[in-house]
Amino acid sequence: MPREAEPSLNERQFVLKALEENLRLDGRTFDKYRALALTFGDEYGVADVTLGRTRVLAKTSAEVTVPYADRPLDGIFTITTELSPMASPAFEINRPTETEILLSRLLEKTVRRSGAMDTESLCLVAGQKCWSVRVDVHVLSHDGNLTDAACFAVVAALRHFRKPDTSMEGGVLTVYTPAEREPVPLSWLHSPFCITWCFFGDEGQMALLDATWSEEQVRVGSCTISLNRHGEICQIAKLGGTPVEAVALLQCTNVALTKAKEFSTYLDKKLAEDAKRRDKDGLMAELSAENDR
Amino acid sequence: MPLDTSAYSLALLRVDGRRWNELRRVHAQIRTQAAADGSSYLEMGHTKVMCVVNGPSEPGPRRGTAGGGGGGGGPGGVAEVAVSVVVAGFSSVDRKRRGRGDKRTLELQTTISNALAASLHTHLYPHSTISISLHVLSQDGSLLAALINAATLACVDAGIPMTDYVVACTAGSTSTYAANDETADPLLDLNHQEEQELPSLTVATLGETDRVAVLVCESRVQASRLEGMLAVGVSGCHQVREILDQVVRDKGRHMIKEGTVEKGMGVEEMEVD
Amino acid sequence: MTTKREPEAALSVLPKSDGSARYSYAGYTVTASVNGPIEAQRRDEHAYEAHVDVIVRPAAGVGGTRERHLETILQASLIQLILVKNFPRSLIQIVLQVEASPENDYVNTKLMQASLNSAVIPALLQTAVLALLSAAIPMRATATSAIVAVMTQDGASRLVAHPSPREIEAAQSVHVLAFTSQDGLLLAESEGDFTVKEWDDVYDTAKKICCKSGATKGEGIEMVLDEQEDSGPDMRQFLRSALETKVAADLHWK
Repeated sequence: MPREAEPSLNERQFVLKALEENLRLDGRTFDKYRALALTFGDEYGVADVTLGRTRVLAKTSAEVTVPYADRPLDGIFTITTELSPMASPAFEINRPTETEILLSRLLEKTVRRSGAMDTESLCLVAGQKCWSVRVDVHVLSHDGNLTDAACFAVVAALRHFRKPDTSMEGGVLTVYTPAEREPVPLSWLHSPFCITWCFFGDEGQMALLDATWSEEQVRVGSCTISLNRHGEICQIAKLGGTPVEAVALLQCTNVALTKAKEFSTYLDKKLAEDAKRRDKDGLMAELSAENDR
Repeated sequence: MPLDTSAYSLALLRVDGRRWNELRRVHAQIRTQAAADGSSYLEMGHTKVMCVVNGPSEPGPRRGTAGGGGGGGGPGGVAEVAVSVVVAGFSSVDRKRRGRGDKRTLELQTTISNALAASLHTHLYPHSTISISLHVLSQDGSLLAALINAATLACVDAGIPMTDYVVACTAGSTSTYAANDETADPLLDLNHQEEQELPSLTVATLGETDRVAVLVCESRVQASRLEGMLAVGVSGCHQVREILDQVVRDKGRHMIKEGTVEKGMGVEEMEVD
Repeated sequence: MTTKREPEAALSVLPKSDGSARYSYAGYTVTASVNGPIEAQRRDEHAYEAHVDVIVRPAAGVGGTRERHLETILQASLIQLILVKNFPRSLIQIVLQVEASPENDYVNTKLMQASLNSAVIPALLQTAVLALLSAAIPMRATATSAIVAVMTQDGASRLVAHPSPREIEAAQSVHVLAFTSQDGLLLAESEGDFTVKEWDDVYDTAKKICCKSGATKGEGIEMVLDEQEDSGPDMRQFLRSALETKVAADLHWK
């Protein structure tokens, strides 16, 4: 496949010189994100996130399967990130690039290993039946900061998702179709968000949030911090690159925490709006009226 | 098996009898493989790794490498640092086989490659490859730290110019993420058992500076604990640097005594201090 | 589900690719990107013509045989449309990402659907054509596509254009047809058993949907409106208007 074009010396210098004068090409300040927009699909569990010109679509799906033999009480939860040539012709199907591996590891650590979802609640019959929840991350357009956008999309899609309701009666498992019973949300514990800092300059003294693709190409290092709004770090990944002062990293973490809180508030707002939109059918009102009695 | 942390608060001793700020025994050797350009063997407690460096040399006829460094060397006229990590099946208790495409291993490789590339003077060797192969013989926590240290030593042995040692170690905290107790102590250099139970992070610094090249945290921890853990980790790195530097100097002295190398200007200076 | 709504399309939705389109109709939403002509890999390189690479990606799950099958069908059709001889030794890459497929509230869908193969083809083909137009890839003709199901009720067969998933399940046979803008039959995929007579009927219906604006050009708008009621929207007119909207927006400054 054709390789991604490297920035020319002129482009490189232009971006770096501008940064030295505290300027970014799109006029943002160093710690400002591009416009973040989240839209939910008609179906449950589809989140379309745009961050500037980066666009990521996450889709959640669930099916009943057999749990892993070594974890009979846990459900299965997977996040797949396959970068298609849609994001850039440099990505090839079935040949994972470094970007793809690091992205999938980051999402895995941020969302799965931090215990954002209660996987034990996905168990239906111990050792025999469980839910397998999977999130497919589709990168439609890649203009830098894929990690943050992808992580936000995954968390949004999972929180929006409803899985079919089930019941156990006399050892018989029934999975209800959406027409029979309103699907139920996943058992969600906390929402982690990725915040990526990019470092520039000979000693990595300049730190930028939400770098665009052209900025990412000239960066000397990056650090992705995942936090939830309770101030818990779920993961930190500064995988090499130019060494950065430890104190600066701590400052980055503090700023990241406020950003994570902003993300959290935005997502809560969007989810509430969507719930309201769906409520118009009156179906939910009907159901809740039933519960009141 | 859950880690018994109840004893810690009484005697302030960890499961293996160390205090909170003690490193495990670090044993290192360089120039272990005669055929390679540079090689090392490193033990941090029971974590044992071996490293072989070849290069800088002309890149082999490979196409479409993961780093996208086709056409010889990395982009922008610098040497490509190619790292391969092989985790032996017998290295851990569960004897799990990890294939070549394992994402965790690939992440380790990328991390080590990027960390060293920032310290090595790769711009001196355009269109060439420095290939570092690491073998994990035994695992007992702090794997990434041990791998980085071993790779640094081997690069020193290979005589590749570098800014400073890239040294790494792990740090943890005695309380789990759930407990909000203020008495939590930071811990230095975690073993496997502690790594499983406690929040931990791996720090790599550039020599004795406070500049952090690698910072990897894979567990949930309160953001307020980060500062303490990072501080302990960085000071641990400084200790590790002392140890590694001593290893290099000892080997140098030994080689001069045996007459394998001639005393040069730099070497003479080294012997003085 | 509002499966019978009007088709919707947007061109050049992705900023980074040469051409792209988003199309939704009958519950399907597909986004396509086109890159090309770009450098082809040695193994795909063809000395006399461009290699057309079609990649279909499902909304959930990894692509399997089902997607490979769709890719083969689409590639064969698109090669006929694109002037491949104009770009020897190069590659035209079309990525089709299915974003949503119609839901069936009465069944819990499994991740891998073995059947339901053909229903998505019209959406994929339509999106691909739109994306190719957006990328300004020279083409011999454009194409429109339709799906028609043959339902049997009380011994009498009935044709349903753009059937819903439930109708497809109940149908005796399902046919996907595509026509070029010169009214030539580009693609015909059929599933199930049917008679030649039925196929002829299906052909006529599909042709009516796909090539209507050509046939009724001189007969006024009244006529078109009448027909829309029974056989769905006029695909060719839709394609044209989608492009006209885009061009009007692009040339707004003039």
